[in-house]
Amino acid sequence: MPFDLNFLARLLPALLEGAEVTVELAVLTIAICLVWGFVVALAQATRGPLGWLAGGYIQIVRNTPLLIQMYLVYFGFSMGGFGLSGFASGLLALCMQNGGYVAEIYRGGLQSVSPRQYEAGRALGMRRWTLYTTVVLPQVIARIIPPMTNQSISIIKDTSQVAAIAVMEIMKISEVWVETSANTYDVFLGAALIYLALTSAASLAGRLCERRFTFAQ
Amino acid sequence: MNNFNPLIHSFPYLLRGAGMTVLMAATAAIPATVLGVVLALLQVFGNRILRASVIAYLLLVRGIPLLVLLTFAYYLLPLTGIDLPPFWGVVLVIACYYAAFMSEVFRAGILSLPQAQWDAARGLGMTRPLMLKIVILPQALRLAAPPYVSLCVSLVKATSLVSIVGLWELTMASREVVERTLAPFQVFIGAGAIYFCICYALALYGRHLERRVLHGH
Repeated sequence: MPFDLNFLARLLPALLEGAEVTVELAVLTIAICLVWGFVVALAQATRGPLGWLAGGYIQIVRNTPLLIQMYLVYFGFSMGGFGLSGFASGLLALCMQNGGYVAEIYRGGLQSVSPRQYEAGRALGMRRWTLYTTVVLPQVIARIIPPMTNQSISIIKDTSQVAAIAVMEIMKISEVWVETSANTYDVFLGAALIYLALTSAASLAGRLCERRFTFAQ
Repeated sequence: MNNFNPLIHSFPYLLRGAGMTVLMAATAAIPATVLGVVLALLQVFGNRILRASVIAYLLLVRGIPLLVLLTFAYYLLPLTGIDLPPFWGVVLVIACYYAAFMSEVFRAGILSLPQAQWDAARGLGMTRPLMLKIVILPQALRLAAPPYVSLCVSLVKATSLVSIVGLWELTMASREVVERTLAPFQVFIGAGAIYFCICYALALYGRHLERRVLHGH
């Protein structure tokens, strides 16, 4: 029966347990990608083999499905003798793929700062460190917050794919509940509501950051 | 590890899977595009009720992972009495999901046209359908083409998810080959390479369109 309150009361704690794993995975991925993406973006900005390598990395991870990357890490590594847990493989694949997207966001942000801003800073006699921390970075941060928010939402949704490598997060738990209870409507409702809550929270957090970091331009 | 024979022997099978992937992606992209244009038009020109319902649809679809929608469509569609073959079921879900993202891209294209275009069309005494048909939409769609193509790349990658609900395409084919050959590393790299060829070709086309948009006006 749909909207069985007793059932929902039993389902919700189980789904929330899964939500904990989802949130852990998403927060770790976002945190790692913020750093890793920056490293890749800087590497891509250099001339020579390093820049070439970073560019190739970005194209490869962005043009192959996350699921294939996850299978490669999960099954491929264990065949090679250094098996990772489902959670670790999922995290690695999520960071690999999203690192490429985040690097592109950083690149766009850095390119959007006009050369005149650098010239003006130098003309004022700023040191390189002062120039970057007081002139360039504030503008970059203000511009990358909206795309970063979108990417974070997409990361939260992408975490559902680790269900394919048997990590017990929202998606996997709801699959188990559908198969054992046959109450598909309620499980779907619960899972969808939790994902909606998580993605809305992320977009709200993004909007708060936007208000905090944007200034009149 | 270094033995790529399993991949070489199964490559034709993987290529057939890739054919299915392309067929599925192309079949889903057409209704997604049409629905995306309709949603964008409704959101720009619709009355308050229509606009609110489009926004609600976008919030819903963009806040829930595609995998959740696919899995539950797999369980729910038969229960609701809609008896679709699995191929058309997943095509329907993917199309509805991507239509939400495409509508945003088209809406941005429509809104980014300069006001003068509208004024000029109205000044010539055009009716709204005519104005849309020969002035607004051709220009808006051209502006929206580059982000539209990157959504198509994302759509191709998303078709890999249907392997989780048991449909046969490239990802499923590669999993079958892995089960037979126990060579996950080589086979998933091969499958990834095929995805890369499809998606990178699309992405290059998108970049070509982008250059045309930037320098065409």
